[in-house]
Amino acid sequence: MKSCRADIGAGRGPRVRPLGLRLLDFAETLRAGIFPARLSGWTPYLYLLPATLVTGILAIGLAEMAETSLHVLDRATFRLDPAYTTANYAAIFGKPVYLRIILKTGLAALLVTLLTLLLAFPYAYLLVRTPHPRLRRLLLVALFLPFLLGQVIRAYGWLIVLGKQGLLNAALALVGLGPVSLIYTYGGVVLGLVQYMLPFAVLLLAPALTAIPREVELASESLGASPRRTFRHIVLPLARPGLVAAGVVVFTLTVTDFAMPEIMGGGANDFIANAIYDAFFQLSDPGMGAALGIVLTVFASLIVALAFLLVGVAALGHGAQQDMRAGS
Amino acid sequence: MADPHRKPELPRRRFLLGSAAAVAAPYVLRLPRALAREKPAEIIVRAWGGVWEEALRKGVSDPFTAMTGIPVRHDLTEDNEIRPKIWAAVDQGRVPPIHVNWDTTTNATKSALRGVTEDLGGLANLEGLLPLAKPAGLDGWPLVNVYSYAYVLAYSQKAFPDRAPESWTAMLDPAFRKRVAMYDDGIGLFAPAQVAGGGKFEDIPEAMEPCWDFFRRLRANQPLLGEDPDFTNWFQNDEIDLACTIISNAREARQNGIAVSWTVPGEGATLDTDALWIPKGLPENELYWAEQYVNFALSAEAQQVWCNALGLPPVRPGLEPPADLVGDVAYPASEADLGRFLRIPTPVLVEHESSWFEKVNEIMQG
Repeated sequence: MKSCRADIGAGRGPRVRPLGLRLLDFAETLRAGIFPARLSGWTPYLYLLPATLVTGILAIGLAEMAETSLHVLDRATFRLDPAYTTANYAAIFGKPVYLRIILKTGLAALLVTLLTLLLAFPYAYLLVRTPHPRLRRLLLVALFLPFLLGQVIRAYGWLIVLGKQGLLNAALALVGLGPVSLIYTYGGVVLGLVQYMLPFAVLLLAPALTAIPREVELASESLGASPRRTFRHIVLPLARPGLVAAGVVVFTLTVTDFAMPEIMGGGANDFIANAIYDAFFQLSDPGMGAALGIVLTVFASLIVALAFLLVGVAALGHGAQQDMRAGS
Repeated sequence: MADPHRKPELPRRRFLLGSAAAVAAPYVLRLPRALAREKPAEIIVRAWGGVWEEALRKGVSDPFTAMTGIPVRHDLTEDNEIRPKIWAAVDQGRVPPIHVNWDTTTNATKSALRGVTEDLGGLANLEGLLPLAKPAGLDGWPLVNVYSYAYVLAYSQKAFPDRAPESWTAMLDPAFRKRVAMYDDGIGLFAPAQVAGGGKFEDIPEAMEPCWDFFRRLRANQPLLGEDPDFTNWFQNDEIDLACTIISNAREARQNGIAVSWTVPGEGATLDTDALWIPKGLPENELYWAEQYVNFALSAEAQQVWCNALGLPPVRPGLEPPADLVGDVAYPASEADLGRFLRIPTPVLVEHESSWFEKVNEIMQG
């Protein structure tokens, strides 16, 4: 077997070790040079150090924010009162406005996640399965062109398209229909976010769909399953890692979004991030801003944790696919 | 033992040293002042965009550069966003990100209360300004007000072809559903809303339920909420018919060829001021030139061009108003005219404005 591999390699010219493995080799040589051999048992932890440092810095920031959230603003000096209090949290959960903003944000995140996945799945499936390279290129260009524009420019683009004197209303006027008001509404914010999130979802779904062998679908069909049944019992379960990853990313990006509700919401459709901005900059109240930031972090983390609880963290890995293949 | 006939050398040395010191003293003493006047590479002034920046450039910054050779850069960071950055820089002993802050008087007063503003009391051009220029409720000159402005009821002439709306309650008319606009925090509308809502101006801040009731009724009309440049854009794009905004924004739309006009309805209109201030922590020479910039902004020459471009009455008396605003109800031409407007005292605004913003937000978020 070994000689066979060597023969194959010789036939195609000298084998080049992949970049990732070469980097690992370099890291291993570096470790051997600076890390005492007697501590070699700790090597895995050494490799975890960079990630731990980055997470640690974030944790320090979060702790700092939690501490700030426990002080109220003294409006005589516009500095935070040194006394500790939970008054900011009491205000958040006691004032209907903040609860409404939290609910609006959560509902929008759910709607955007569902709609984005619904639109992204067929797009990603076509992108992966199409036998026509030209169509694939077209789909990729259509996906990446708006992706490169950035969120703020896209939001302003929507204002131009959907505004009173925008393209949509101009087209409606041609057929004798009155102007419709789609911008500066909650629906407008959701629409803008779905369009913004679509490339993220497609990019996360495409690798999961690529990993599903075409032969599995063909086998299902050759055994008499309809395309619908194949999709439901073969494609959808095997695409679960991509769906979960895309869902989590789209949800967390939406729940923390600022620009789209700011530009498309007309001021009356704020998300939590907008309330945080207002607290820090409009009210000069970093205590309230920090408290809202903590609430947002906890809220988003709980939802994501719940999602993982329901589908299982393993759904993100290829192990899930292998399990399913073994099961089937 | 000392020789009594020996000539004393020390007095001669002392004499020489003393003479040298006497000759050098004026130069040595003037050295810090000379260093203080060393020109910085640029002066950074925070400004609002659109017509606001253009007016500042034309009236103050460009002439200042022509006079001193120091380039002036306008930093268009929102006033609310630059404030915490300056506060943090001063607290941490860092050089602040700007030299001069062009700010609302209420926000400038908050910074003064926090102790992050330089005293401007030594500026020569403070002499002869209207009393309005002096900050209220503060000692000295931690800021200087530079002009006043009215929050008018701007309207499209298409929607009001015959005559101007007579009351702020026009904004509540269901005919203008989704066609009315106000600032996203409600600024400028508190006082007229209090009166139009059936209350008394004198009851601010103690009894403001009529004001909040007005905002609730306005909410039913689904107003657009925005910032200064939004109003001009909305009028230009035919998104709105009525707006509570600063006269400069409506005037800009009109100067751009949009059929927009404005009025001060029967209930009155809010009058407020903007200010200039210098953050603490600047190097001495930069502080000197920042002071010179503010001093120049208060000169008759600068005020005439700057305020006319904005369509706002300056704090330097005796200047010519812009031709298109002579006799305009929203352009107070004299100290007596100021009495026609609703002016909430700055200390009241500083203490209560944040909670009013929260209240408006609570109502508008539905």
